[in-house]
Amino acid sequence: MRLFVSTLLFWIAAVVPSLAAEVHPPSQVLAGAAFSMPSSGAGQGTLYLIGSAHLSKRQVNLGTDIEVDGDDVQHAGRYTVILCTDQCSASEFYVHPAGPDRLSLLVHPSRVPVSNPNAISAVAVVWDVYHNLEISPETVKFTVNPDEHTSLSEARTTNNGIAWIRLTSAAKSGVVKLQASVGKVSEIRVVQQVASDACNLRIHASSESKKIVIETDPVRDCSGNFVPDGTVVSFTMTDSAGETTVDVPIKRGVAKVEMPAHGHARITAASGVVTGNELNLAGGGE
Amino acid sequence: MKTKAIMRRALLAVSAAVVISVPASFVTVHADDSLPKVSLNADNLGPRSIEELTSKVVARDYAFAWQTMAEALEQNRPDLLDGYFTGIAKQDLAQMIADQTKTGVRVRYVDHGHKLDALFYSPAGDAMQLRDHADLEINVMDGQKVIHSEQVNLQYTVLMTPGADRWLVRDLEVAPEAKP
Repeated sequence: MRLFVSTLLFWIAAVVPSLAAEVHPPSQVLAGAAFSMPSSGAGQGTLYLIGSAHLSKRQVNLGTDIEVDGDDVQHAGRYTVILCTDQCSASEFYVHPAGPDRLSLLVHPSRVPVSNPNAISAVAVVWDVYHNLEISPETVKFTVNPDEHTSLSEARTTNNGIAWIRLTSAAKSGVVKLQASVGKVSEIRVVQQVASDACNLRIHASSESKKIVIETDPVRDCSGNFVPDGTVVSFTMTDSAGETTVDVPIKRGVAKVEMPAHGHARITAASGVVTGNELNLAGGGE
Repeated sequence: MKTKAIMRRALLAVSAAVVISVPASFVTVHADDSLPKVSLNADNLGPRSIEELTSKVVARDYAFAWQTMAEALEQNRPDLLDGYFTGIAKQDLAQMIADQTKTGVRVRYVDHGHKLDALFYSPAGDAMQLRDHADLEINVMDGQKVIHSEQVNLQYTVLMTPGADRWLVRDLEVAPEAKP
């Protein structure tokens, strides 16, 4: 009899802890959505709710449905629920993103030469309202507006929340608007398309007293766009005194320089990898 | 006399060698001991290919990020996050630390290593997405009492962006496909 009572007490002692209060959350929840989870046991316990960016602790009545506010589950990912009385028990659930609501758009570069294949890249990252990465596939529409009347679109499906596209810059310089949109959300970036390298660089010269004035024709790229002011043109003069090089930035579409004349002179000009015509001046201003 | 001079010089040389070598080996050992192990697989990375140096730097900086995150959560110090976190990841972890301070509850990570798969490297090189298979021990402490402890293999989705001299973690989320 004594042995039986001892065995019974041993089993009670062993089993009671395993009957510790438990909480049963749903396996998955939508970010920001309130929910309830049934609990077992009686009396009061301490509930800990722990996510990757949230931690809360509160007293709860056991044996009832425990309410969880939407504010407590705004961040997507894994949550651990710990319920403690004398013992603690733990369970977990996942919070999923609430659906696309925000868009990050990375466009590179902000200035690009015209007619440059695959020179512009756009990367769109899709988030929900709480800034959780929206990992389910979504369709992102990339739209380019080269001018007020033209619009070109291309759709891409996100992979792990990211969609991207490469674009060739237009032949005409100017501002181009690049838009990415998913659902009702959209973001716009502006890319400045500038003239490419100079093409057919032409120079002419005139004598003024003891100086030679050398000037380019209006400097354009191969598509006819004016090369931006500030682009450097290098003038090189070779005469009896040796070789002289002067770097001059383009102003109002042309580059102009004055150089002293010493008899016969040979003059060339270059901008970037482009060289212009060669001038041979006899006598100069001497 | 000559022998004494030689002995003195030899002693000085040995002392100098000890002074130079001890701090160097200490730093190396310390770094190896404290940094979590991170390996990076970039076999399926696109559209931009990754340079060897960049892959080393990304793995190194991700290891530093986890190290500083664990320290920041252990010591309730959001300032430690400045080094390797930015944007939403830094904001989320700062919020976590604020919640820890308010409740007296702490989450402690014992880091057993990370296997990173690089998923996306933007054409301009300004963003990289990775998947991290992390092997962790997570302890939850209320005051000094451990109320929960678990060994987990979690799968994180990570977004990193380059800073001035390092890669920074911009987003860090546990993916639902994780197997606890």
